[in-house]
Amino acid sequence: MANVSESVHADGPNGAHDGHAHAHPDFLQHHFDTPAQQFVAAKLGMWVFIATEILMFGGLFCAYAIWRGLDPDVFDQAHHFLNKIMGATNTVVLLFSSLTAALAVRASQVGKRNMTSVYLVITILCACAFLVIKYFEYSHKIHLGLLPGHCFGHPGFSGAIQNGEEVGTCLRIHADEAPGNPQWVRAVDESGHVQLLPPRANMYFALYFVMTGLHGLHVVIGMSILIWVLVKNLQGKISTEYFTPVDLGALYWHLVDLVWIYLFPLLYLVGKPE
Amino acid sequence: MATEHSAHVDDGRVHAHVSSAQFYWGIFAALVILTILTVRVSYYDFGSLNIIVAMLIATVKAGLVATFFMHLQHDSRFNALAFLAAFLFLAIFILLTYDDMGRRGDVDPDYGGKVQLHTGQAAPGGLPATTATSDETNGEAPKEGAEQKDRPKE
Repeated sequence: MANVSESVHADGPNGAHDGHAHAHPDFLQHHFDTPAQQFVAAKLGMWVFIATEILMFGGLFCAYAIWRGLDPDVFDQAHHFLNKIMGATNTVVLLFSSLTAALAVRASQVGKRNMTSVYLVITILCACAFLVIKYFEYSHKIHLGLLPGHCFGHPGFSGAIQNGEEVGTCLRIHADEAPGNPQWVRAVDESGHVQLLPPRANMYFALYFVMTGLHGLHVVIGMSILIWVLVKNLQGKISTEYFTPVDLGALYWHLVDLVWIYLFPLLYLVGKPE
Repeated sequence: MATEHSAHVDDGRVHAHVSSAQFYWGIFAALVILTILTVRVSYYDFGSLNIIVAMLIATVKAGLVATFFMHLQHDSRFNALAFLAAFLFLAIFILLTYDDMGRRGDVDPDYGGKVQLHTGQAAPGGLPATTATSDETNGEAPKEGAEQKDRPKE
């Protein structure tokens, strides 16, 4: 690697005028003059991509803002079905993985290849831990019947559910129990209180599953990217001259963290305390 | 372009700012403290300020992550511009949509969506109810009952 970096150093700025007569290092694409130019271009591309990701999640945040504005009381009632402690634990897990991702970039910048691998492995393990906790949260809510289309769905799509028939701990109550509200749903929340949810609480849980689901998809993609970066690092393709894959992989991972930083309070915390 | 790179010797090599590991750990500690704070604060009721307090803390956390973990502090200013522009357009998108929706009818008490309370008809341009209302409602809900016959076909 040393001879390559020397050659870059020697004909760096001049190389721009020499056309392609000089030897490029392996990592330098043909259409870039210098590693610095390639690095700046890659970073800008990544930031523009991050901007588009924010706008994609933005559509869901907009839907959340509107439906919460329409139904603050229902959102307040429904958010008691989310476990704050599990959400906070997942937040700390993601924040810690962001720290180790940043430390992986730092290790690659100063040329500590083994430490880069160690930090990347810790980051990937944190991503797994996040998904495991998410699995427990999801399965509990699905068991309660809070999935859109189960208790909350159109009766035509869930023929098994009749008035008063018990499904898990969620119950579609009889019309005579709540006149005029034939499809209200009775379920036990995280504090053990029995709640009577109106049909439109569906919107909160639909947003919960879609927002955390899209975020979870990003966690899986981020893990795959970090595994790819780890393989590159183990192959010795990462150096102090070329750590762009680690840097951009970590940027993607921080984006996953950023989105969760907003999802956590919006879904788990906002509302009146019991 | 006034970037970090042009401040260094322009030898064509990548010159990225390297922060110390202790610095990153410090940022992580601040993020954890803010997370504990936002959970603790959620047990107190500030009324309509709840969401503002939660969003302020979240924005401080996001700022720490973007500025230090994502290296915006020492990065090209143009990257920060691309990042912040996303939030500007997101704000335009959400505020205008929110304002628009605020001017369309009232919320259907059972099924959400927007209806005109006096007639029970779907509000013009309003969001549809989250669950179909036409078949399964019984006659005990007067508003719903009246709505079935009057609701225009879509």
